[in-house]
Amino acid sequence: MENLKTIINTVLKNRGKKEVETVNETSHLRNDIGFDSLDLAELTVRIEAEYDVDIFEDGIVNTVGEILRKIKG
Amino acid sequence: MELFYADPGEGVIKNWGDLLADLEQMNDYSPYCQESDYYLIFKHIIASLLLDREIVLLDSDFSTEETKRLLGDSILVSNTDPSSCLRSNIQTKEALLNRLKQIGPSWKITLFTSGTTGLPKKVSHSFQSITRFVNTSEKHRDNIWGYAYNPTHMAGIQVFFQALLNGNPLIRLFGLPKDQILQSISDYSISNISATPTFYRLLLPANDRYPTVTRLTSGGEKFDEKTSVLLSQVFPNAKVTNVYASTEAGTLLAAKGNEFSIKDEFVNLIKIENNELLIHKSLMGSSEAINSDWYPTGDLVEIISENPVRFKFISRKNEMINVGGYKVNPTEVEETIREINGVADVRVFSKSNSVLGSIICCEVVRTNPALDESNIRNQLQTKLQEFKIPRMVRFVESLSTTRTGKIKRN
Repeated sequence: MENLKTIINTVLKNRGKKEVETVNETSHLRNDIGFDSLDLAELTVRIEAEYDVDIFEDGIVNTVGEILRKIKG
Repeated sequence: MELFYADPGEGVIKNWGDLLADLEQMNDYSPYCQESDYYLIFKHIIASLLLDREIVLLDSDFSTEETKRLLGDSILVSNTDPSSCLRSNIQTKEALLNRLKQIGPSWKITLFTSGTTGLPKKVSHSFQSITRFVNTSEKHRDNIWGYAYNPTHMAGIQVFFQALLNGNPLIRLFGLPKDQILQSISDYSISNISATPTFYRLLLPANDRYPTVTRLTSGGEKFDEKTSVLLSQVFPNAKVTNVYASTEAGTLLAAKGNEFSIKDEFVNLIKIENNELLIHKSLMGSSEAINSDWYPTGDLVEIISENPVRFKFISRKNEMINVGGYKVNPTEVEETIREINGVADVRVFSKSNSVLGSIICCEVVRTNPALDESNIRNQLQTKLQEFKIPRMVRFVESLSTTRTGKIKRN
């Protein structure tokens, strides 16, 4: 979770957006974290580089919990 | 009065009566339109039509620098004389639609397409050329459009005119969160959506079904089979059509699936040479890019059968990168990054991406070791539109090149 938060904050910081202090399983990527589709695209690339998993391969994921489940496979 | 435009994201609702009242209150007219509010853009276009004045559409996120480069020294004159401004006395939607049937040949709309040379190309259309593919008929009278394109780009303009000339409401969907898009489709009983495959991919998977939608049009990128199958489950009553369009020519071809054919009326105006699609200049708007009878589109196709010819699109001849339907010229991005202090060289390339089709990445050779990724991206934010900015910056000792010494793009 901590590692995922770091990736999320990297995406936010690079975009000049405010970083998040906490994330939990129910955090919504668009509504809570404030990602748009460009940010989501960047997130997939960074997660893929780290975990070798394309989280959006089978359609859109909406929450941090859904990402964690994909990473754990 | 009936609905003209709704933006579920901003909570804006405009009826045709509101539009007519807002038009009546315009005290000045500038040919330059650089708004981010869709309604203001639509109102501006309609005002230009009623005044028979030129309109130049600029992306709201163009920087001052970019705008200056685009427009050069050509300045069109604003109209601030209240006496000559819009006093149309149009009272009803029907009267407005009738008036729009009489637009003269001098009206002109200018927009900018992402160019192949580093600078967007300026393309102008007359009313006749921009509405060539608009279908107005009884059949379309009750359509309700989900608006899923940027209104300053060609595809968005075409959807706007298709809806406007049929008197159909436009519901803004572009840029809204997935749940709100689906909710709006259902709330407004949307019947027609035209969008890029990226937009459709963002809606999937969806739990509910949306039976009001009868027509889905897709363009701007290749449409994959997986999206197509999932879409027909979510929109069980929708016929899905693929279109081929360009800023210069508008919609030219439509297909079922990924196979295209040329309509009878264009048989002599569209041809394939060396696997490249060529379009006759008579189908194009006026553009600096056209200097012979045939315009090479840069789109490479594979012929499936002859007489009548059927084909599918393979790739782009040039190196434009398609980010969610927006074309990015890697050369322009490289030139901008190279201007940053501490950058020795840069290679911009695309990486395929399940959200946007592809995204922009770059490798940088730096002379200043303190230069980091967020540093570079912050500097680019005032110089490039957001979708052109690389989403991954890697620092390397030297750039990867092809065997002929050119920068590798993939």
